[in-house]
Amino acid sequence: MEKQETMERICNDFTINIATANGTGSQSANLIVLNSMFQMGVPVSGKNLFPSNISGLPTWFIIRASDRGYQAPGDKAHIQVLMNKDTWQKDLAGLESGTVVIYNEDVKLPVDRDDCPSFGMPMTKMARGINPKLARLMCNMYYVGALAHLLDIDDAAISNALERQFKGKEKAIELNLRAIGEGRTYAEENWEGGIPYCVEARDKNPDAFLVEGNEAVALGSIFGGINMLSWYPITPSSSLAESIIEWLPKLREGDDGGATCAVIQAEDELAAAGMVIGAGWAGGRGMTCTSGPGISLMSEFIGLAYFAEVPGVIWDVNRVGPSTGLPTRTQQGDLSMLYEASHGDTQHIVLIPGTVDECFEYGWRAFDYAERFQTIVFGFSDLDLGMNRWSTAGFQYPDSPMDRGKVLRTQDELDAVANYGRYRDVDGDGIPYRTLPGSGLDPVLYRGTGHDEDGVYSEDPDVYYATVSRLRRKIDGARDLLPAPVVREEEEQQIGVIYYGSVENSITEIDDMLESTGLSVSTCRVRALPYHSEVEGFIERHDKVIVLEINRDGQLYGILRKELPVDLLPRLHSVAYTDGIPPRARVYADKILEVLEVTA
Amino acid sequence: MSVMKLNVIDLEKSEYTGGKSSLCPGCGHDQISKIIIQAAWENGISPEGIAKMSGIGCSSKTPAYFLGKSHGFNTVHGRMPSVTTGASMANKSLSFIAVSGDGDTASIGIGQFIHAIRRNLDMVYIIENNGVYGLTKGQYSATVEKGSKKKKGTMNEQPPIDLCAMAINLGCSFVARSFSGSKKQLTALIRAAMGHRGMAVIDVISPCVTFANNDESYKSYNYVKENDEVLHMLDYIPHFTPIEEVDIPEGEYDDIQMFDGSTLRLETVGDDHDPSDAVSALSAIHHAEKENKHVTGLLYYDDSMQTADEELGLTETPLSALSEAELRPSEAELASINAAFRGA
Repeated sequence: MEKQETMERICNDFTINIATANGTGSQSANLIVLNSMFQMGVPVSGKNLFPSNISGLPTWFIIRASDRGYQAPGDKAHIQVLMNKDTWQKDLAGLESGTVVIYNEDVKLPVDRDDCPSFGMPMTKMARGINPKLARLMCNMYYVGALAHLLDIDDAAISNALERQFKGKEKAIELNLRAIGEGRTYAEENWEGGIPYCVEARDKNPDAFLVEGNEAVALGSIFGGINMLSWYPITPSSSLAESIIEWLPKLREGDDGGATCAVIQAEDELAAAGMVIGAGWAGGRGMTCTSGPGISLMSEFIGLAYFAEVPGVIWDVNRVGPSTGLPTRTQQGDLSMLYEASHGDTQHIVLIPGTVDECFEYGWRAFDYAERFQTIVFGFSDLDLGMNRWSTAGFQYPDSPMDRGKVLRTQDELDAVANYGRYRDVDGDGIPYRTLPGSGLDPVLYRGTGHDEDGVYSEDPDVYYATVSRLRRKIDGARDLLPAPVVREEEEQQIGVIYYGSVENSITEIDDMLESTGLSVSTCRVRALPYHSEVEGFIERHDKVIVLEINRDGQLYGILRKELPVDLLPRLHSVAYTDGIPPRARVYADKILEVLEVTA
Repeated sequence: MSVMKLNVIDLEKSEYTGGKSSLCPGCGHDQISKIIIQAAWENGISPEGIAKMSGIGCSSKTPAYFLGKSHGFNTVHGRMPSVTTGASMANKSLSFIAVSGDGDTASIGIGQFIHAIRRNLDMVYIIENNGVYGLTKGQYSATVEKGSKKKKGTMNEQPPIDLCAMAINLGCSFVARSFSGSKKQLTALIRAAMGHRGMAVIDVISPCVTFANNDESYKSYNYVKENDEVLHMLDYIPHFTPIEEVDIPEGEYDDIQMFDGSTLRLETVGDDHDPSDAVSALSAIHHAEKENKHVTGLLYYDDSMQTADEELGLTETPLSALSEAELRPSEAELASINAAFRGA
C-alpha cells in the first residue's frame, strides 16, 4: 500500500518498544532491527529490559532513533510491538493515543484501542509454514519484516544485520531472511495505510560500530596485559568474563603456544578477590569482575589489599540492589560502597567510564593505576553500559607503555633505593617500593596486621598512625593523575550538572530539555574517584550545581559534601533517582527543575 | 671452632630460620615450624624460591617464625588457598608452603580448602590441628572428636570433620596425617610433600598446651602418644642421594617416587598399607576413629593428576616475568579487531 501523501513524516525521531517473552529468540530479531538501522547511518540506541529468568518472563527491547543523538529510552513508545500474551493488556493500556501497534494475531488476544493504528499478522502460523519446530523462535522475524516495511528499512541493511547476527550459520541466515521477507510482503499486501514514522539513511561514519561495554572492558583488559582472571558468575558481569575468555586465545598466546593469562572460575567472590590479591602480590596483573553482591563478599580482601598494599583490579558492573534487588536492571548504587569498601578507614581508586571507548581505555589503564599505587582499582560500569550496545568509532591503542609501578627486580635496583623498607615512603609521594616473591630481595611477610616501615609486625600507636596517614596521602595523590572530568561549559555559568557513568547516554537530551526552559546549563562528567581538582573548579565557577545520579541517596553528592571545602557546599544539590530503568531524560530533567525551583 | 654444616646448596640451617615465636611455650606449632625449617634445609631448597602462605589463627602466625629469607603472606581467615591460587598462577615457579589451622581450614575456610584440592594446586598445605581456637581462648573447632573434652568447659558432642578423609574423597593427590611430636615421621612427610607436584595435604595433630592438653582431650600430647596408629615407618631419600647408598630395610617396604626424583620409603610395621588405594586409606581412618585413635603416615598418594597450571596450559615463563611485548597485543591486532567489528 502507498503511504498517504498527506501524512506528516517523522524521520529518525521515534521509539519502538518490542514486548516479547524471555527465551523466545526475540533478542536476535531486536538486534537485527537495531543493527539494520545503524547500518543505514541512523543514530540509534537499543536497551534490553530483561527479567531474571531464562525462559518465559516478559522482556522489552526499546529502540530509539534520534537524529539529535538522544540515547535515553524515550518517554513513550511511538511504535509498540506486541508478542507476549502476559503483558499484552498492560502494554496496550499504557499506550498514548496514536501509538502504532504491530501485533501477532496468533496470540489471539484483542487489540481494543481504536485510537491506535493497529496492524496484525499471523506470525506464528506463517513461521510454522517455514519450519514448525522453529516457529516459536522464528515468528519474531515477522515483526522485523513488518517494521522494515512500515519504516522503510533497506533490504540490504537487513541482510547485513542478519549476517552479523548469525555469523556464518548459513541455514539460520536463509530461514530467517525468508521469514523477514514474508513478513514484509504480508505487510505490503495486507495492511491499509501507512504510519508517520520512517527511517532515512544518513552518512554513516564508516568507522562506527556497536559494541557492549562489557566486551570493551574485556578487550581493554587484554591489551592491559591481564595475567589472571578469577570470576564467579553474576549478572550483569558474566559476559565481561566470558568475553575475555573468548578473546584470549586469539590475542594472548605465549611463544610456546601456552596461555599468558590464567582464567579461574572461582568457588565464590571471596575466592575470586583472594586470587586477584595473590596474583598482584606475586607480580602479576590480576582482575575479577562482579556486581554489587560480589563486592560485598570481597570487602574483607579489599581492606587487606589496601593495607598490605597489593595491586589488583575489580570491575563492578552495577545492578539494582540491595541484596538480589532487581538483578537484571541498572543502577549506580554501588559507588559509595566501592569508594570505601571494607572495614576501618579505607579509600579506593574508582574509574568510571561513560562510553564504550572509555570502557576499553580504563580496561587497560586500571592495571597501570593498580601497580602504580599498589592498591585495588575499581572499574565502575553498570548494566546499561555493560550489556547494551553503544557506538564507537573504534578502540584506540594504548598511548603509553605499561606502568609496572615501583617494583625492584634486581639487587642493583634495590641497592639504589636509600633506606629501603617495604612500607617506607622514600620518594615522599606515599608510595613505597616493593620486591616480589621469588626474587629473594629483602623478603617480608605481608600481613593485614599492623606493620612498620620495614614490614615488621607492630602495634605501636605512632607506627599505626603513620601508616594509615601515609596510605591516605598515597590515594589522595592519585586525584590529578586519574582521568580528568569531561567539562562542557556555558559562558553564563549559571547551572552546573555533575554526573558520571552511563548518565552520559541521557545527558544531551536532559541538557536540551533544561535549556529549552531558558536555563544555561554546563555539564561536568566525573570519570574517577578520588575526584579530580577540576571538579572543584567547576563547582566554584557555577552558581548552582546539581549532582545527578542513578541511585536513591545521592552517593557522589555525599562524597563531594564530605570532601569539598565547606564554603562550596551551599551550591551543591542532589538529584538522585532510580527505578531500575535507564534514565529517561524527561524524568530526570523534571526532577532537576523541581530542585532548582525549590532552591530558587 | 666447629665447622658449620651446609646443605646440598651450601647453605647453613640458619638461612632457613625465622623470627622468635610468640606462641605459648610448648606449643605443638613451634615443633612443626622447626620441622619445616629442617625439611627445607635438608631438601636443599633455595629459600628465595619458597613462598610462605597462611590464613589467620595461632598456626597462621608461624610463617613469621620460619624461613625468614622467603617472602610470605599472612592473609585473611580461611582464605589462604585463594591467595595461593592467584600467586601460583602469576608465578608457578614458586614453591608454596602453607600453614593453616583447624578453624582456618575446617570451618571458615572449608570451601576454599575443598576447591584448592579440586584444582590440584601445586602447594604443601599443612594443617596444625589442635581442635580448638587458641587465639580467641579455646573454643572448640570442627575437628574436635566426639567425646573429647578440653581443659575448661563441656565435652564435645558433635562428630568431627576429618580433613584427611575429606581430602581423599575429593581426589587430593597427597594426603598424610602426623603428629607434631613425631619428628622423624613428620620430617619425612614434609620433605616428600615438598618434592611432590600437586596438592599435598598434611594434617598434623598439634596439641594446644594452654586450652586442650588435658588427658580427656583426644589431641593432647599424652593421648596422641598412646593412641597413635602408625601406618608405616617413613624414610625420605632425596633425589641428590643415590638410593643405592641407603641401607635396605630388613622387613618389607615400598618405595614411592616423588616428582622431583626423590623417594619416600614406606616400611611396613603391621598390616601393609597401600597409599594408592583410597578405600583402604578411608577404611584406616574410619577404624581409627571408631576406636578414638589417630592413624598417621602417608594415607593416600596419586601422581597421575595434572596440576592447576598444567590444566590451564600456562606458558613456560612465569606470567609475572612476561614482558610488555608478550602481554600487550600489537596495534595491528587492535586495528584488525576494529575492522572485524566494522564488518570489513
